[in-house]
Amino acid sequence: MSALLMEGVTFTYPGAGAPALRDCSFSAANGEVTWLTGALGAGTSTALLVAAGLAPRHTGGERSGQVRALGTDPAEGAAGLGGRVALVLSSPGAQLSGIAETVAQEVAFAPANLGWPATRIHAAVSHALDRMGVAHLAPRGPATLSGGELQRVVIASMLVLEPDLWLLDEPTSALDTTGRSLLHALLRSEAARGAAVVIASEDADGLHPAADRVLVFRQGRPVVEGAPDEVLRGDAIWAAGAGSTTVAALGRASGVASPRPLTVSEGVRRWAR
Amino acid sequence: MNARLLALVPAAIAINLVVGGLVNAVGLPLYLDSIGTILATVLAGPAVGMVVGAIGQLLFGLLYGYQWIPFGLIQLLIALLAGAAAARAGFRSTGRTVAWGLLTGALAGSLSAVISYILFKGVTATGTTAVVTLLRHLGWSLPAAVTASSLALDLVDKAVAFVLVGALVRSLPGRMLGRFPRAARALGR
Amino acid sequence: MTARPATLASRAHPFTPLVLTLCIAITALAAAGPLEAGVLYAVTVALAVISGVGRAALRALVPLAPLWFFLFLLHGVMGESPRIDVAGLALSEAGISLALAQAARLGAIATASLALSASFSPARFIDAAAERRWSFAASYLVVATLLALPRFRARAAAILDAQRSRGLRLRGGPLHRLRAIRPVTFPLLLGALAEVDERGFALETRCAAGVTARTPLAPPVDRPADRVVRWLAIGGAVCAMAWRVAG
Repeated sequence: MSALLMEGVTFTYPGAGAPALRDCSFSAANGEVTWLTGALGAGTSTALLVAAGLAPRHTGGERSGQVRALGTDPAEGAAGLGGRVALVLSSPGAQLSGIAETVAQEVAFAPANLGWPATRIHAAVSHALDRMGVAHLAPRGPATLSGGELQRVVIASMLVLEPDLWLLDEPTSALDTTGRSLLHALLRSEAARGAAVVIASEDADGLHPAADRVLVFRQGRPVVEGAPDEVLRGDAIWAAGAGSTTVAALGRASGVASPRPLTVSEGVRRWAR
Repeated sequence: MNARLLALVPAAIAINLVVGGLVNAVGLPLYLDSIGTILATVLAGPAVGMVVGAIGQLLFGLLYGYQWIPFGLIQLLIALLAGAAAARAGFRSTGRTVAWGLLTGALAGSLSAVISYILFKGVTATGTTAVVTLLRHLGWSLPAAVTASSLALDLVDKAVAFVLVGALVRSLPGRMLGRFPRAARALGR
Repeated sequence: MTARPATLASRAHPFTPLVLTLCIAITALAAAGPLEAGVLYAVTVALAVISGVGRAALRALVPLAPLWFFLFLLHGVMGESPRIDVAGLALSEAGISLALAQAARLGAIATASLALSASFSPARFIDAAAERRWSFAASYLVVATLLALPRFRARAAAILDAQRSRGLRLRGGPLHRLRAIRPVTFPLLLGALAEVDERGFALETRCAAGVTARTPLAPPVDRPADRVVRWLAIGGAVCAMAWRVAG
């Protein structure tokens, strides 16, 4: 059974002329990293909001079609499904509680709201902070952190819940290179744990080794689907308005036909003679 | 209590308490201490507006003198009237907004005069003493002068408050307005 | 917010400073004459100093000074006779008494409020409320409102400065001043709405809108001394009100 299922979903934001999602159908399975990509406005962010139930419940607007996240329609009932669905947005400041004095309290915010026993919370918080490499920031105030540190804390705040479904929207924009690799490794280990991971990102270089499936969105629906290794080498992804890895982009600009190399080492093997 | 209300109520209360200070800096003898109440009502309904108004007035009274606490009743009245205006697209145009504001000012001013009289036998220290002095010169009795000037002030104060909230909500982008369906109705959309 | 040095105020149970401030405010309102009000002000300042937030008493003088000046002007100069001679000025005796009483009242309230905000810890308050099984929504509203007030005030001051530096003139006729309201208030209101939007989102995604009872993470200790202080404060306030009503 898929952790996330969307069938024929059309969603229009309030006051918008055109729908942001048009007859959009896709699914995300447990144990897999599903990568959504596309040009600006293609609908990847909206798809995540709909999957989380925040659209239309929080944003307003009209939604038609079927959405099932962990078996229920996310638009009904509380967001986060009691902590089993985690949503991570690209701007870290937008997800803070606003009342935590330390990073440890911030990370403990959601589990405390869910009524977890205090001992379980303390253990889970330390573990999450360790995995995100920010254990040393535990006593610091959130207002004193840099953007990258804050983003790691926000991810830790979701990690602490051990969610069954991850929804991440450009989570690496504030992270440095180390942070990005940390996140990609985290996504793989979460998938290995059995969670379903859905991530919207333009970072093809980082995600092509980490993702199991890629869906290229165009004008509100997925138009190309497949294994990242195949899809990124071809032309279809470019036709859809999205991009590929840096090396593939270089190859395309230089007139190399598909299938194109994706990494530097592949490129060297192919072109350096 | 959903998440959006948890976020809205504290901000609306703070607006009630802080905007008055801003207006003071401009040098106008207006209170504008009901902007938060009216805004909360337009966005989330009169029940929320009344909570904002009541708690805000309580805080105001604790900070600046308990004599202001009974005037919380006026905040409740303002929330009800703003709710009535919002339900009837009262914020659709500046003209309609001014009309509703004046109506609220008249009713709020009258209630305020009644409360003032019951509590203080008619005299509170407000910025209306100049007008009062003038009216007395014209032969009005003190209670009449105080009531009239206080009423006039309330008319202007509530009209300005309504217009300000109306202009604010009208200037919101469609996406944000979509989060608050009541606001769209208040604008007649 | 960063960790503050441990003072009596920060080690006390979070409800204690809150109850104290409320009772001081109520008692201030009940204090009739300059003597009672003066004693209350002195007690408030002493409490602030003992609790380690004596700075608040000093900072309170900033908004108080102009208020006090205005009070003496209003009541002392323009009050009713009989007049007494104070440093060469003929000031109203009743007026001075009134001004002193009001000044002391305002002083007590301002000092108590600033002392409270200096020692307030949102996390400890929420933990204390969670321990008593209050709904999270209620305690969050209290905390968020108390945190929003100084934040909005600072933003309002910054906006005023910014608009002034952009050429906004705050003098002139009433119509001109009316028109100045919008550039002075709009940025604050729009900013507040954007923040409300974001915070609502954040609270939803962090499971804050649920109905489960929140777990206290580090429940503050409610010492007997805390309880004694709170009951004394409440008792004092009630007595003051009763005395005022009776007398």
